[in-house]
Amino acid sequence: MEDMRLAERTASARENKITARGVQVFYGTNHAIKDVDVDIADRTVTAFIGPSGCGKSTFLRCLNRMNDTIPVCRVEGRIELDGEDIYDKRVDPVQLRARVGMVFQKPNPFPKSIYDNVAYGPRIHGLTRNRAELDEVVETSLRRAALWNEVKDRLTSPGTGLSGGQQQRLCIARAVATSPEVLLMDEPCSALDPIATAQVEELIDELRENFSVVIVTHSMQQAARVSQRTAFFHLGNLVEFGETGQIFTNPRDPRTESYITGRIG
Amino acid sequence: MSEQHILRAFDRDLEAVQGLVMRMGGMVETAILDAAEALAARDEDMAEKVRAGDKAIDALEERINEETARLIALRAPAASDLRTALSVLKIASSLERVGDFAKNMAKRTAVLSQMHDIPGAGGALKRMSKAVVQMLSDALDAYNSRDVALAEDVRARDREVDQMYTALFREFLTHMMEDPRNITPCMHLHFIAKNIERMGDHATTISEQVIYLVTGAMPEESRPKADSVTTVGIEGQ
Repeated sequence: MEDMRLAERTASARENKITARGVQVFYGTNHAIKDVDVDIADRTVTAFIGPSGCGKSTFLRCLNRMNDTIPVCRVEGRIELDGEDIYDKRVDPVQLRARVGMVFQKPNPFPKSIYDNVAYGPRIHGLTRNRAELDEVVETSLRRAALWNEVKDRLTSPGTGLSGGQQQRLCIARAVATSPEVLLMDEPCSALDPIATAQVEELIDELRENFSVVIVTHSMQQAARVSQRTAFFHLGNLVEFGETGQIFTNPRDPRTESYITGRIG
Repeated sequence: MSEQHILRAFDRDLEAVQGLVMRMGGMVETAILDAAEALAARDEDMAEKVRAGDKAIDALEERINEETARLIALRAPAASDLRTALSVLKIASSLERVGDFAKNMAKRTAVLSQMHDIPGAGGALKRMSKAVVQMLSDALDAYNSRDVALAEDVRARDREVDQMYTALFREFLTHMMEDPRNITPCMHLHFIAKNIERMGDHATTISEQVIYLVTGAMPEESRPKADSVTTVGIEGQ
């Protein structure tokens, strides 16, 4: 799409980080995702939008095998991260989730200190050799999550004592501490006030320099604000996937149009 | 999009602002016809009414701008709703310009009424005005009913208005060459003809907005043009 949008907003032709082909998800007999093909570009924010129950969160959870934890859930098709099948038997889901991090709807800090929350991932994955290195990772992660200045004097206080917006940024710091390549965010701002939301959105835009971000959101304005590419899911189908500006000014599918303009579909 | 918004107040806002555009269109059409009639009939009172009436058209444009700004701020329209909001602004702006041209015609009518008549000019300009008003009216109907075919038809018809203008241009030149006393009235009449031709361009712009609104893309620039005045005077033209 040739347009005059600011350069920083354009979805440039980046390499694909994740390639999903013919993905089907079943919860028991419920066919939740129907033959979805998606390419997630590297260092790009991709938004998944759609009404409740459309499958967007389910699909997001496929990308780091979070659905493995649900016994009745069955995933078919092929999802590749840098060309490698993430559902291959040799892939350790825990290692995978270090590369594909996740932030959830409700801030869920561990009942530990702020420091230990962020240090948790690097510790269990053995990413640092000594305390000084770990300190550095914790500080960098908290800075990336735009939380450092607010918590640097109380790193030993419990993470649960922070405000909602701070807790969510702590969770983001925890997620980026393992230097993931992809960050999945499932409604990361739905429990936050507008200021905290704006801070998280600014953070998402900054994270894009280093990571590929995939965000599920009910707020279409949020999708419009932070993403370069938007996918619209409906009844388990991927209806339309395109450049965010195109989706919001000139969607090709009438179902996308109905949804984003707030009409009865 | 015939479907309604879940939030019905959004539909009411969109309809209200488009209703204002239609009302503005009606006022502008009347202004053109009255101005043309006043010119042909050398009716200074009627011309004065057209001049005074332009204030109401301008005020309506301002109101449309304000309402649309509110709608964008409060409803955050997307896709076809966004295009509707943008087209409302553009169409209102075009209509405001057309209103100014009608007012200008009325101003010149006041002057022309004091001068000797150029035979046939009043009638020719009235015919040209009628053609333009029909274009404008069809463009707004096309807008109201989201009728791309009608909008395309209006675009094509701009050629006829261009031809009328070119013919008048030559006619006025002839009058002026015949008798220098014709120069002053013919200069005024020429400006009027040019302004009516510009009204046709605005009707075309409105039609293009209809096409943009419905299809999401501006039409290709392949519109036939017949305004050859820019080359009149070159040997053999």
